[in-house]
Amino acid sequence: MLLEVRDLHVEFHTRDGVAHAVNGVDYGVEAGETLAVLGESGSGKSVTAQAIMGILDMPPGRITAGEVLFKGQDLLKLKEKDRRRIRGAELAMIFQDALSALNPVLTVGDQLGEMFTVHRGMSRRDARARAVELMDRVRIPGAKERAGQYPHQFSGGMRQRIMIAMAMALEPALIIADEPTTALDVTVQAQVMDLLAELQREYRMGLVLITHDLGVVADVADRIAVMYAGRIVESAPVHDLYKAPAHPYTRGLLNSVPRLDRKGRELDAIKGLPPSLLHIPSGCPFHPRCPMVQDVCRTDVPPLYDVTESDADRGSACHFWRECLRG
Amino acid sequence: MGRYVIRRLLQMIPVFIGATLLIFLMVNVMGDPVAGLCGERQCDPATAAQLKREFGLDKPVWRQYLTYMGNVFTGDFGTAFNGQKVTELMGTAFPVTIRLTVVAIVLEIVLGIALGVLTGLRRGRPVDTGVLLLTLVVISVPTFVTGLLLQLLLGVEWGWIKPSVSAYATVDELIVPGLVLASVSLAYVTRLTRTSLAENRRADYVRTAIAKGLPRRRVVVRHLLRNSLIPVVTFIGTDVGALMGGAIVTERIFNIHGVGYQLYQGILRQNTQTVVGFVTVLVLVFLAANLLVDLLYAVLDPRIRYA
Repeated sequence: MLLEVRDLHVEFHTRDGVAHAVNGVDYGVEAGETLAVLGESGSGKSVTAQAIMGILDMPPGRITAGEVLFKGQDLLKLKEKDRRRIRGAELAMIFQDALSALNPVLTVGDQLGEMFTVHRGMSRRDARARAVELMDRVRIPGAKERAGQYPHQFSGGMRQRIMIAMAMALEPALIIADEPTTALDVTVQAQVMDLLAELQREYRMGLVLITHDLGVVADVADRIAVMYAGRIVESAPVHDLYKAPAHPYTRGLLNSVPRLDRKGRELDAIKGLPPSLLHIPSGCPFHPRCPMVQDVCRTDVPPLYDVTESDADRGSACHFWRECLRG
Repeated sequence: MGRYVIRRLLQMIPVFIGATLLIFLMVNVMGDPVAGLCGERQCDPATAAQLKREFGLDKPVWRQYLTYMGNVFTGDFGTAFNGQKVTELMGTAFPVTIRLTVVAIVLEIVLGIALGVLTGLRRGRPVDTGVLLLTLVVISVPTFVTGLLLQLLLGVEWGWIKPSVSAYATVDELIVPGLVLASVSLAYVTRLTRTSLAENRRADYVRTAIAKGLPRRRVVVRHLLRNSLIPVVTFIGTDVGALMGGAIVTERIFNIHGVGYQLYQGILRQNTQTVVGFVTVLVLVFLAANLLVDLLYAVLDPRIRYA
């Protein structure tokens, strides 16, 4: 395993109490593999990513338990100095909104070149040349001239390409992309996603793709981890999951996607709202919204069961995964 | 950019005319300008009338203003009633005040920003609370109180400095007066830097900089500070003009013969030419400083374009 997150717990101390954002997340990514982490806002997918990267705001955030094994080494136990060397070089991140994630007062050439001057000790001139190469690589037209421009002078799609170039700069083993296409137009989304997938294949990087867009996932991901209330509720290879979800929440998500063959009919939405992280429901956190709810769901927290009826490596945190699988 | 500068320079003309006219009128209302010319006694009516004719004071105010402005444009700011050319007075006063202002600005930049960064990065800690309290005190106490207090303590009681500045007004003599002059602005710079820093600290681009694996120092200086100082620079820029004009109190306290001192004397002796001349130059300095700040703003923040 390239990256393995084990039993990660993150909480935030707020004025209203303790928000349990991540409650025992386990997931793993192999080299060259794409793991899609799927979930609604507040499901803990971004917080998990930030904890892996070591860019969580602490305080108010606090990692209370767990391990983040990267190439077998627990990142959470490393000194900040050693962690910093890994960040950006071996483990990179792409953010959602490139306009605010790029520094408005520095040229993109400087921001890209910084990776090489800081991590590789290159001269500013060499770094600039590498920055232009990178911009070429992510297919920004007129890279040489545009390296001297500022982020606001680029279109949304081009800016996200710059973010990708920045993450790619030192050819990291793993990239975490936090909703990389959410802020973009639909047509541009596809281009950016294709570029990311292409680069990932070429460099055999691991990719953690955080998203709430099921359409994006189907095309590029190898595996999917579905998160709810800070837990993984289902984990499966992408095709198995689409074919037959083993958790009522996944089923709800899949049913809520508009489909051409169901045109004119009412969309199935999941009833209710995601739980407040300050007061996570007892038992299975999904039980107040679950159409299959039984008494045991209100009291017993379901572990991530092995879905044994499938040959693939699957898991579901539902007491009734068998029933769910059968539909 | 060029067009913008030209437009701004043209806009200065009405501001300049308005400001000088206002001062001219105000000084005229102050009282009889020839009253002080005959020593302790009142001038006898015949002499007064003759003096007035000589100085053109019998003409209507608008004529006086036009004549004066005409002279100003040929570089003639008139003669003070003691016979000295106003330009001569300026030649001795401005270098002193400029030195004082430079000392004040440097203190403001160095101390203000350093304290702002210190507190901005340690919000809520004892250092932060302490400095914040101190700035509050400095802002609420008037300059003449701080000035007189420092003069009394440092100059008279402890003898660390000379209580009054010599005629040469060297830079080392001006450090304490400069500190007094800068004190309120310094406190504002500290607070502004602190707030701006704290605001930007949670910005996405700072998070990106950390995620890039940059050393903390680089994250703070190159990414965080570069963005946070934009409003601070604006403040300091406009303060240049304010400090030069605002030196009256400080110059009085430490007996510095600069612009403030001359202005004070001019007002006291109802010396129209001196007052209008000095204030005119101050208005120009203020306008120029403002234009410079606006141009600097575009350099610091590439998102701002002037057309």
